[in-house]
Amino acid sequence: MKRLVPKKPVWLAASAAVGLFALGIAFWMRSGNPWNPGRVAGGLLFGVAAALLVLSSILHPLRRPLLGFPFGTAQRWTQFHIYGGCLSFLFVLIHEGFRLPSGTVGWLLLILSAWATLSGLLGVWLQKWIPALMAGNLRVEAIFERIPELIAKLQAEANALVEGSSEVLDRFYRDDVEPALAGVQVSWDYLVDISGGRERRLAPFGRMAAFLTPEEKPRLEDLKALFAEKLELDAQYSLQRVLRLWILLHVPPSVLLFGLMLYHITVNLYYR
Amino acid sequence: MEPREATDPGNLSRAFPHSLEQPENLLTIEELKELPIFAELADTLLKKIQPHVLVAEYRPNDVILREGEYSDAAYYVARGVVEILLAQLPAPSGPETARREPVVTSVAHVAEHLLAKSERERAIGRAVAEGGTIILSDMPSEFRRDRQILLEKGELFGEISALSRYPVSATVRARTEVVTVLIRTPALRILQRSAPKFKEFVDRRYRERALATHLRNVGLFAACDDKFMRNLRERVELVSFEPGQLIVEEGSPAAAFFLVRGGYVKVSAKSGAADLALTYLRKGDYFGEAAILLEEPWPFSFTAIDSVEVVKLTRADFQELLTASPHLREDLWKVTVERLKQRGSAIRHPVESEYLQMAMETGLIHGESVLMIDLNTCTRCDDCVRACADTHGGIPRFIREGFKFNNWLIPTSCYQCTDPVCMIGCPTGAITRPIGTTEVSIDPLTCIGCGNCSRRCPWGNIINVPYSHPVLKKEIQLATKCDLSLGREVPACVQMCPHGSAIRVSFRDVGLLPRLLPAVD
Repeated sequence: MKRLVPKKPVWLAASAAVGLFALGIAFWMRSGNPWNPGRVAGGLLFGVAAALLVLSSILHPLRRPLLGFPFGTAQRWTQFHIYGGCLSFLFVLIHEGFRLPSGTVGWLLLILSAWATLSGLLGVWLQKWIPALMAGNLRVEAIFERIPELIAKLQAEANALVEGSSEVLDRFYRDDVEPALAGVQVSWDYLVDISGGRERRLAPFGRMAAFLTPEEKPRLEDLKALFAEKLELDAQYSLQRVLRLWILLHVPPSVLLFGLMLYHITVNLYYR
Repeated sequence: MEPREATDPGNLSRAFPHSLEQPENLLTIEELKELPIFAELADTLLKKIQPHVLVAEYRPNDVILREGEYSDAAYYVARGVVEILLAQLPAPSGPETARREPVVTSVAHVAEHLLAKSERERAIGRAVAEGGTIILSDMPSEFRRDRQILLEKGELFGEISALSRYPVSATVRARTEVVTVLIRTPALRILQRSAPKFKEFVDRRYRERALATHLRNVGLFAACDDKFMRNLRERVELVSFEPGQLIVEEGSPAAAFFLVRGGYVKVSAKSGAADLALTYLRKGDYFGEAAILLEEPWPFSFTAIDSVEVVKLTRADFQELLTASPHLREDLWKVTVERLKQRGSAIRHPVESEYLQMAMETGLIHGESVLMIDLNTCTRCDDCVRACADTHGGIPRFIREGFKFNNWLIPTSCYQCTDPVCMIGCPTGAITRPIGTTEVSIDPLTCIGCGNCSRRCPWGNIINVPYSHPVLKKEIQLATKCDLSLGREVPACVQMCPHGSAIRVSFRDVGLLPRLLPAVD
């Protein structure tokens, strides 16, 4: 539940106030004359506002080159991006007079606006949920790009560890452990069960202990620790990958929306 | 400050012997015995200090110590003459000074200006005595504007800076060909413990030169008059403790008041079987007032975290101090109440104590500005690292890797230590921290890539990167470290974190830690 609490409630309050105010104005204006997007001053006003908000949302990647200008920090940029994006969708709806569009471009604009907003909100939720999931359940923390390298190191360590071991341990390693240590194993399952069936996957180590001499048991324990670390790295990789893949759901449609919006404005200005 | 220029690394062993990891110029036991300062020491003691005592030769005008920097050795002049220079002179009193002062616009401005100046002087262990004489804490001489200060054979300087980790109070330059014997901090500590005459000598010097300045740095003694200070000077005892050594135990009778002059002290209280860390004390902090005011046994235990130097005042002297300055009693009661509250809070919220314990174990207590990333909210986007790289010509000063405590990641990034040991022995003075500021920075044009600072950093937070040096005209391993994005109001890593997960924490104010670092839910 805590994941749904806004980080900066003031932004939510301000956005809600702006949204309600906009709705109030829209209904007040609409009560006087039937809403005709683009032709009634109100409709045009909200269309321009939506376009400006979409434009500013598209400029979000500039926060770093602009050193946070004009908001001062990247966090404020992000807050503006999120709440501004939501407001832009509301403004699009107001601009449309809360009616279904009549043409293809209108439909595309509406669908893309809705998609960009909803995918953005999905991203917000993922970005709140996944980090907390990882911080609370994984002991290992690693940089996404370095995880394959770290796993290769683990594998090398494991190889060195079993060198000169008994045939039983060697066979167990070759058959059951080594394949799992070979590279990152990405899985969506970590979203459901972050442990990735850790207990089940570590259970064979417990069974194997019964077949080893007391001298070899510490070696098995070390191997188990390496394997457990590998599982955590897999989880890290899979979850960080979700945080990266989500962008693909959001950015290309948003850029397309921006392009169509420009087309919509140009055509309307030209044929007006 | 002295002009700095890139130096030929070949000269390092001569001019900056303390920058070497395995010095070749150690003195033999026989050579040590020949020196008057060690003449009376037993062979066993000489053997102990021998690995930490070395000889260093300087040519005329070579800089031996730089004002404001840190040192890990005392210098004994074995041959030649050295000169003491002050790069920034404290302003003398009188009408002449008034004319030279910058134009000030308001009373507040004047106060601020004067306060800043005196703080700087105190920070580097200097005091202006009556008549305009400047007392240098770690030099055996008073400085006067109209007189050149020279130290000759047999003089010792720099021991107080080395022992108490105070910045060096003046620049020392070789006037002639000079041979000095460097007595590094471990040797100084051994001598303090095992050579009563040496300890007496160093303590006397400390009492005469530094104690009053250091005491006045402590709010408690700031208003005390000179007479009182002189009186106190002779009565205090200077005591050293080894890392981990118990200074006082909870429940034992309270018989003294302590002022920390160097190192860190852990304050803890028993709660059942656990020993809960309540806070830690550092240079300038004091303890013992609670027990004396409450007239009870010690309510806390105090343990040395590292090598600790304290000024000890007996209960009777402390009571006298309170009688002489009634306002002190009121101030001390406030401190006492605050500490007792801390104790209650620690017992009620052991997690807060856990943070303090972690800070003490990992060395974070040294940090004036430690980068911490909340993994609960960090989306691992690495914008912090990219922003750092943007600010530093494409080379980031940290990576998002380090150690994890609860939900916090402490990346491998400079902590901006209170006493930056990385600044000791930089051959060119490339690594600096302006007095009164937090950031320790490295000038790439002056750095010669010797690696001394990165080897000295106990936390591995200085990284050497390949660099084509424009002055030396060759490839060097440039030392790089976080400089808090020098010139920007907020460090880039913090400013550019899109989720506000990166924060900077000063471990100086431990009272704020529980609020800054809330427990994991």
